[in-house]
Amino acid sequence: MSLDSSRSANSGPQNLKRSFNSNSSNDKGNSSNSKKRKSNQKTLGMAWGPNSLSTSRSSFRSSPFSDFGSYMVEKNRKLQNQFDAEASNSSLSDSSTKPIFHGVSIFVDGFTVPSSQELRRYMLNYGGRFENYFSRHRVTHIICSNLPDSKIKNIRSFSGGLPVVKPTWILDSVAAKRLLSWVPYQLDQLASNQPTLSAFFTSKFSPASEGVFTAAICEVKHATEDLCLKDASTDAKFSEEGEPSEWRKKITEEHDELMRGNTDSKVIEEPSSSYSEASQEVKGVERSYLEQDDESKENNGPQYCPEQPSASVSSHCFDNHSIKGLPHSTALGPSKQRHSTLGDPNFVENYFKNSRLHFIGTWRNRYRKRFPSLPNGFKCVNSHLDVSADTQKTAIIHIDMDCFFVSVVIRSHPELHDKPVAVCHSDNPKGTAEISSANYPARDYGIRAGMFVRDAKALCTHLVILSYNFEAYEEVADQFYNILHKHCNRVQAVSCDEAFLDVTDLEGEDPQLLASVIRKEIFEATGCTASAGIAVNMLMARLATRTAKPNGQCYISPERVDEYLDQLPIKALPGIGHVLEEKLKNRNVRTCGQLRMISKDSLQKDFRFKTGEMLWNYCRGVDNRLVGTIQESKSVGAEVNWGVRFRDLQDTQHFLLDLCKEVSLRLQGCGVQGRTFTLKIKKRRKDAGEPAKYMGCGDCENLSHSTTVPLATDDVEVLQRITKQLFGFFHIDVKDIRGVGLQVSRLESVDTSKQVLERNSLKSWLISASARSEEQCDINGIAKDRVGTDTEGRSMGGNSGVLCTDPVGNSVLRTNNTSNGEGCSNQGLSIPLLCDLDMGVVESLPSELLSELNEMYGGKLVDLIAKSKGQGENSTGSLCFHSPELAKVAVEEAERSRNSDPISLSRTAAEMKGKQHILDGLQTVPDSGAGFNSIAISIQGLDNNDLMPSSLSQVDTSVLQQLPEELRADIFESLPEHRRQEISTLGPNRDNLHHPLCINPPESTDSGLTNTLWIGNPPMWVDKFKVSNLLMLRFFADMYYKAKSAENLSSILQCTIAESLHPLDAKCDAWNEAVHSFNELLVEYIKLKIVVDIEEIYVCFRLLRRLSTRSEFFLEVYNLVFPHLQVSVDENYGGNLHIPLNK
Amino acid sequence: MERKDNQSPRGHIAGILVEFLEVAITSVVFLKGIYSPGAFERRRYMNVVVQRARHPQLRDYIHSAVSGLLPFIEKGLVERVAVIFFNTDNIPVERFMFKLAVNQSFDSKVEESDLEFSLRSFLVKLSVSQPLTKVLPCDCRWEITAYFRSLPQVSNCKDTELWISTDTKQWQQPPLITPIKSMNSEPLGVQLYLEHPSPSEPKS
Repeated sequence: MSLDSSRSANSGPQNLKRSFNSNSSNDKGNSSNSKKRKSNQKTLGMAWGPNSLSTSRSSFRSSPFSDFGSYMVEKNRKLQNQFDAEASNSSLSDSSTKPIFHGVSIFVDGFTVPSSQELRRYMLNYGGRFENYFSRHRVTHIICSNLPDSKIKNIRSFSGGLPVVKPTWILDSVAAKRLLSWVPYQLDQLASNQPTLSAFFTSKFSPASEGVFTAAICEVKHATEDLCLKDASTDAKFSEEGEPSEWRKKITEEHDELMRGNTDSKVIEEPSSSYSEASQEVKGVERSYLEQDDESKENNGPQYCPEQPSASVSSHCFDNHSIKGLPHSTALGPSKQRHSTLGDPNFVENYFKNSRLHFIGTWRNRYRKRFPSLPNGFKCVNSHLDVSADTQKTAIIHIDMDCFFVSVVIRSHPELHDKPVAVCHSDNPKGTAEISSANYPARDYGIRAGMFVRDAKALCTHLVILSYNFEAYEEVADQFYNILHKHCNRVQAVSCDEAFLDVTDLEGEDPQLLASVIRKEIFEATGCTASAGIAVNMLMARLATRTAKPNGQCYISPERVDEYLDQLPIKALPGIGHVLEEKLKNRNVRTCGQLRMISKDSLQKDFRFKTGEMLWNYCRGVDNRLVGTIQESKSVGAEVNWGVRFRDLQDTQHFLLDLCKEVSLRLQGCGVQGRTFTLKIKKRRKDAGEPAKYMGCGDCENLSHSTTVPLATDDVEVLQRITKQLFGFFHIDVKDIRGVGLQVSRLESVDTSKQVLERNSLKSWLISASARSEEQCDINGIAKDRVGTDTEGRSMGGNSGVLCTDPVGNSVLRTNNTSNGEGCSNQGLSIPLLCDLDMGVVESLPSELLSELNEMYGGKLVDLIAKSKGQGENSTGSLCFHSPELAKVAVEEAERSRNSDPISLSRTAAEMKGKQHILDGLQTVPDSGAGFNSIAISIQGLDNNDLMPSSLSQVDTSVLQQLPEELRADIFESLPEHRRQEISTLGPNRDNLHHPLCINPPESTDSGLTNTLWIGNPPMWVDKFKVSNLLMLRFFADMYYKAKSAENLSSILQCTIAESLHPLDAKCDAWNEAVHSFNELLVEYIKLKIVVDIEEIYVCFRLLRRLSTRSEFFLEVYNLVFPHLQVSVDENYGGNLHIPLNK
Repeated sequence: MERKDNQSPRGHIAGILVEFLEVAITSVVFLKGIYSPGAFERRRYMNVVVQRARHPQLRDYIHSAVSGLLPFIEKGLVERVAVIFFNTDNIPVERFMFKLAVNQSFDSKVEESDLEFSLRSFLVKLSVSQPLTKVLPCDCRWEITAYFRSLPQVSNCKDTELWISTDTKQWQQPPLITPIKSMNSEPLGVQLYLEHPSPSEPKS
């Protein structure tokens, strides 16, 4: 969270607006997207929309005005002009300095967070270019968050060799105010595939700027430490209270505040710092810095950049939101001119500003924020249960303001007090507005809420109509609750003007007296009257209030309950509406007394179980609800059915977007996310004319469509996408739409969804693990900082135990956790001290878990492990840990070296050590994408000039053999040409234990005599081909090392297709021999695979067929081996393999 | 779809396999569009979206056919399970073959998650293999046929009686094979491929 707020602060107001005002650019984006589909350029797949139009390309071509080439040229030119024009308007950088993205031209592929439009905006503002269509010549970077597997496999043909970078790169560069290297931001998916080793030997960072960075980091750290201390105290305070759900809320809130305050101050301290996310890891970072030499410090920079844009964006919105408060808080009087969606671009916003229902609906959030002691309610419930068990004498007060909406408005008009007054959103002469609330004098005339103004005026000619004053409502509601909370700590808010108090505990105070005191205070504070009902339960208290109104109070003693209810019309009971009333009337039930005659079973049979039970209870005055139980809302939504008029689809889309924003705000306000989205539309009936009520909805059909998504969301963009899709289902003339509502249900609280994540984490069992780890850990003198610990740890020799953290460090963990955006809810579970951990357990964890744990410990854990291990094996002792990530790598390395002793032991020379560091570092690349960046950088940190041994004789062959093929290939590649010869000699002398093809023993054993080419790792043929004097075969052997999973021929062939852009053929003497060798290779492969994996054979031969169109060599091979293939297939499957022709 | 836990590893694998076949065959039937899409509902199996037949008879047919195979699979007798689509003349138009290979000597505990990972890829691949298949003529029939390595001993087990020996018409010529997916995750190997009549097949 710290990241987002500080980042937004860094980049100024433009960034703050991002989540709210992006609609204009989005609209533009959509329209251009729809055009884009017609393109015949290589668009690489767009983010949205079906590609259906692309199939009709041919028909376009034949039409008279569809010369696509010129069309696209023209279009691209226009787009560029547009972009230039916009850029000149909105560029933020002053002309004296070079803009950040000068010379960068991005193409955004697929769905990204932030969206392509936002990225475009960044490009606009910081002097970059944004290409709508991919072009190898104009684009310099491809931005994408995710790629389909097909593109990954064929990355070269997809990207044209251009870097494929995550969008974070742009955000971070903007935040850093300079162009960062894209290398650390390369798409994770690609990371394991790329020829990495040599790429990192060149230094990419200028020391000067890095110096700035370190300084900034220190400052960040300073701020964070502050926070930690505060946080720690908060923790301590709350962990005593037990009852997790109770303080969790509280802590979250407080923590939010802290964070907010903290990030603010941070921004002030170092406005230039870009690495604000570093606050996550600052502690670890800072500590490791202490022991690092300057050089490595300089090279550590980029890895602290945020990796999780999605998380940050959402919380970013939330932050803004909570700072700004709810949108209606600035509500003003109704705008007089713009009454429909036609005229007012901000219709939705204004609509809700002026909606009383909206005020009531959103009031609860406000209340929760204002009275964060709400969790007290939960506590009350618990204790209340005990209380009600031993004493039955409960006392509940229900207090309700008298005609709240009117009396608040007229309190400043004493002359109106005894005049009939009604509140209504407009008082126009047509009188078609509906009255929302009327005071008692007006009610005497028969004026009721929901009446048209003109009807009301007919009843009472001198009726005064006033409009809402939401500010006053808020003020009064706050005062009202202040008073209630002052007198009683068990308050259940029902609405802004209505609440239940449980005064059972307030012994010695007469509830009736208390009620009158409260009422008096309310009147004095607000100038408005309130009525109160006192009884033994909520139901009776509420009914009593009904009798008490206006401005009175009523006490129903338990003895009088029966008497009171006997003649009470059933309609008065809460929960009985029109429908239920009708049904009961049909059975001649009008009063509670009559209702009591019906048995519970019969009621439950007729009205379903729950309703029946409720009826039975209520008519007897029984109500088991407890004050303080809060019903969570089942759905959140917004609906507009007044003033909705659209001209065209664009209006509608605009409106829907606004509606989505509103709903998203409401979701965030409630702290929930939803999975089911329902779009409701009111459609004018065919015969219905313009409704009587001005701009009302009139006679409408109600239509709705809904959809459920797998992952709960509150994100505006997702909402918008879903809504658009839903709207598409309606097939409706937009002119007929009279109302639109969007409702989100299947809500999940943001906290619980985080909890789910947390459940998977290890914290819970860590604690149990710590219990049995006592004997294993040596608690050493606590060293205040890591330099100390470090040296101590080293001096300990081979001891396995170690190191305890200081309390400050421990609290840091929690902070880290929280700022990661995952942790708030889980803070109570305190992480066991490092010294409590069982090292044996920790060491044997899989690397992912280890890294998760490590994150919790702010990176110390791995240092610890690495050190405890490093003692025995001097090889790791000399490594310095640059960062948590790197340290993790180091652990894995240490682990590895322990598992395979020969590697580490066989090495003595310092150079070799360096080498091994790299090798092992690289080794971890496939398993740990996260660690990747840091490795890369750490390698830079080492001596850049001669990492590679000058000859292979210096390389430990056993190490090489242990490496995965890809890495080996990498190393080979980075060796100078003349050294390669030596490698090939390494090939044969390996044992067969590891070779990947061993998995099919049944076949490989019986064909063992003949099938030799595919045995070994790398298989024999690779070596054989390598030494061949035919270019083709050598080329193919090279492909073996290039291919990703080289044990499959198909991937080698795939690689061959991708690589061999040049013609492969060169006839020579050994041609026939080569064909023969290759044929042999294939025959053996068929033999190997035919029984178990016909799919692989199939893929291989399709690829071969493709190659055969390019190369005569492969054609010959293909023709030679194809009959053999068919014979084998026939033998095993009784048919022929069908290889379709492909182009 | 419930599996018993206290089984031998082999029975356990057979159980998984049978369950998988049920889902896969339903997917095949859905893929071919013999019944209207409304006859299926989306379900989640091994964390992928699959189709499940809604019509009880269809569901029962597939279920009973496949679960009837369980004892044979356990013994390793079943070599292939085929879903065969016929035209009105009872001549096969398309056959989906599941070739099974269960390593009988495998006795250690099976990592179910590994197995699921491999089997899941079938379901994924199957759902996108529509273009590989042929358009069926209208009025076609289909059936599930199992090919045994040897004729099984007549057993008195009830559910095995559901399987009857068949004399389905065969193609005269070796068919054309289009593999869809293969997997081999010790101890279980499954391959799915399509068989179409070869172009030289005499048209009747």
